[in-house]
Formats: sequence, structure tokens, C-alpha cells
Amino acid sequence: MLVMTWKYCYTSVFTDPAMFIRIETSSGMPIARQIADQVRTHCASGTLAPGDRLPSVRQLARELAVNQNTVLRVYEKLTAEGLLERRHGDGTYVADSLPPGRLKAQRQLLQQEAQRFVRRAGELNISDDDVHKLLDEAIEHRDRQRGSVPKGGQRNE
Amino acid sequence: MSNAVIEMNNVVKNFGRKRVLNGENLSVQQGETFAYLGRNGAGKTTSIKMLLGLLKPDSGTVRVLGLDPAVSPLEVRRRVGYVAEDQAMFGWMRVQQIISFVAPFYPTWDQKWAAELTSRFELPLKTKIKHLSKGQGVRLALLLALAHRPELVILDDPTLGLDPIMRKEFLRDLVGYLQGEKVTVFFSSHLLYEVEPVADVVAILDHGRIVRQDSTENLRERVKRFILSASAENAASKLPGLLDINRSGRQISIVVEDAQPAIAALQREQIPFDEIALNLDEIFEAYVIGRKEPANAEPPLERVA
Repeated sequence: MLVMTWKYCYTSVFTDPAMFIRIETSSGMPIARQIADQVRTHCASGTLAPGDRLPSVRQLARELAVNQNTVLRVYEKLTAEGLLERRHGDGTYVADSLPPGRLKAQRQLLQQEAQRFVRRAGELNISDDDVHKLLDEAIEHRDRQRGSVPKGGQRNE
Repeated sequence: MSNAVIEMNNVVKNFGRKRVLNGENLSVQQGETFAYLGRNGAGKTTSIKMLLGLLKPDSGTVRVLGLDPAVSPLEVRRRVGYVAEDQAMFGWMRVQQIISFVAPFYPTWDQKWAAELTSRFELPLKTKIKHLSKGQGVRLALLLALAHRPELVILDDPTLGLDPIMRKEFLRDLVGYLQGEKVTVFFSSHLLYEVEPVADVVAILDHGRIVRQDSTENLRERVKRFILSASAENAASKLPGLLDINRSGRQISIVVEDAQPAIAALQREQIPFDEIALNLDEIFEAYVIGRKEPANAEPPLERVA
């Protein structure tokens, strides 16, 4: 799957944005959601920048070997969210202006993960203090990994 | 249902004393990619043969493109593309020869499309069929099934025997050339994780009946597993749409057909639960080997398919 997505870099039809999407068919998460979440993440991280053109429904469906209607639904949903823009007869683009709810949506996604994390900690009988400690450690770990090349802009604004 | 491309109503078929289809109902709408799932011996190939008029039902009705295949098998087969399980072709023929051989059977054969598919599928025209790789063989069968531009394509376990890379390629072809052309696709498979991404609708056949037909999205949203404390076993076994119940130590795991009513019932009884999303394999398993009686540590009974 990963090998396949690498093709994106080389396929001439969508040279503009390189977009890696990986489908996990064994996951309990519906495929449309997997794709939508990953496109949202790409937009949030800047892998997809405003004005970037996305592969057509047909291209993406074929590359991922996923039903065209699934891809279409994802594009429609993200368009309704204001993240994407469908220009008539010209394909789908990352919206030029940030939709107001976008950051909120990103936050919600993370919030869900945080809830899962906290619940899991509870199942393992880890105290709330330790949960905080784990998060601090994770942040330290990230900073150590960045090491000598500190990356700007990824800290909380 | 004017839009139904395939319809089976209450179809029964016996082979000798063995009942293979036991009141099968299904309906495939125009333009759908319809995945037809079942264990080996569940009756998939028997049903497919009926759709093509190769077998007659003992009772019930079968309609394909509005026709009764048992009455008008030729017209059905002219308008349908079919790839059989383990398609047998004349091994001594060359690719070019079999294409020229099959073409005259179909008034709607599209020479240009056939040529285009040959090059897109990278089929070597001068090679003998027996020397083709398995993947090339499947692509050739697909070409022969598509070149007359059928309205409906029936594929009986088309990825059987292909390696993972070829299977993926095949599914891409399916998405690219069939869904792209708005052709209705009816395909049987037992590789569920592969089917899910490409199918609009899934039907699960078990012991000669369809136990569930629904969109892939709906199936994923509705069929859920819950983990409860074993003390709730009694209430759990009465939940609506129960497919499977299993006890393991202090916990029980249940799978239900529709999560919402089950959640409502659990909340009414104030039973705490964990909700778990299932993948298609697990959903399939719950339908075909799920047990509705709680059992303790006994292996599931082997059922004769």
C-alpha cells in the first residue's frame, strides 16, 4: 500500500501535490473516514497547501483501489466543511481561505484521541498524575528527536 | 423496482436431496458494485449459474436485465460480461486468436475497445494462452468479458489464485474500467478485506439464503461488538438483532446487527458497555458462525457448508 502511494510522486497527472494516503482494510474504521481524516491531516500539516489541486475522484479511486463513490463522498464532505473547493469542470482544490471551523475540527479529532488515551490509561490503572507525566515525556521525546534542528511553527501558537 | 439489474426472489435449488439455495432474495441496482460473499459451498456459484441461465431454479424467480435467464439465456449472455471462477480457455490458442474467436458471438463487440484493453492490460497478442501468467489469464478473461460493452458484469471469484499485487491491480482495473464506465458489477469473493473498499453493497450468503444485504457503509456503522460484564449475560442474550454472544471469564462479547437499538436497550437496563467497531471479516464471521446461545469455552461447531 505504501509502495503504491509513492506513485503519487511520479504520476504526471497530479504532480502538483504529493499526497500519501494509506488505507487499512483490517481496521474497524470505515474507509471514507480513513481517507477524509488523512486529507484533513495533510491540509493541517501543510502537505496540502491552499490552492493545491487534488487528484480527480477517478484517479484517487483507482490508485487506492477504492470505490469511486467513496472518494466522491469524501470530496463532497470535505467541500461541505469548507476544506476543499470543487471548481466546475476543473477538479478539486484545497480551499484558498481557511474555513472558520477548520481548526475546531482538527481540535475535535485530537480531542477524540485524547479521550481514547485517557480511557486506556484508566483501564491500565494509571493515575491521572501519571497521565500528565506521560504527555510531558512524549513532548520531551519529540523535542529530543528534533534535536539540533528545531522546527519553528509547530509549537502551540 | 425498475432499476434492478438483478433480482432473485425466493429462489430454491436442490441437487438431489441436498438443498443448495433455500429461498434466496437479492436485488442489485443499476450502476452498483455488488459484492456477493459466502463461504465455500454457500451457494454462490450455483446462484451465478442461474443468473446466466446455466441452471434453473426449482422454485422462485430470477431476473437479469428484466429477462428470465432460463427463458432467454442467449440474450442475457449477449448483454452480460462473465468471468467464471478459474476460467478455462483453450490453452493452445494465442491471445489474438481467442479474441477473434470470441468477438463474432457478440453483435455489440467493440473492436477499438478490445484493442485498447489489450494494450492497457499489456497482453501479449502472440503468446499462447497456456503460457500466460495467472494474472494475464485473468486480465484476458476480463477483456473477453468487457469488449462487448456489457451493461452488467458478473465475476465469479475473479481474484482467486492471484498474488497480492495482481489482486490489487485487478481491483484497480475494476474501479477504473467498470465503475468509471458506470457498469453494474456483481462479483463473488471470499476475500472480504479486499472487497470492502470497492463495493457499494455487500450481500452475505449463508446456507443458501442472504442473511444480510446492505451498503458497506451501513454495515460498518450498524454491526457492532459490545463488551459487557458477564453479570449482564441474561440481558445481553435478549438484545435485539443479536448475532453472536461469547463468554470469556468475567466478560462477555456480543455482536449485534444494529448498534442503535442495542445501545438504547443497554442504557435502559443501565448496563455499562464498551462499543467496538468491526471490520468486514469480523462482521461476516458473526453472521456465518455467530452463535446466539452463550457458550463457555467450547470450540464453535464445524458446520457443513
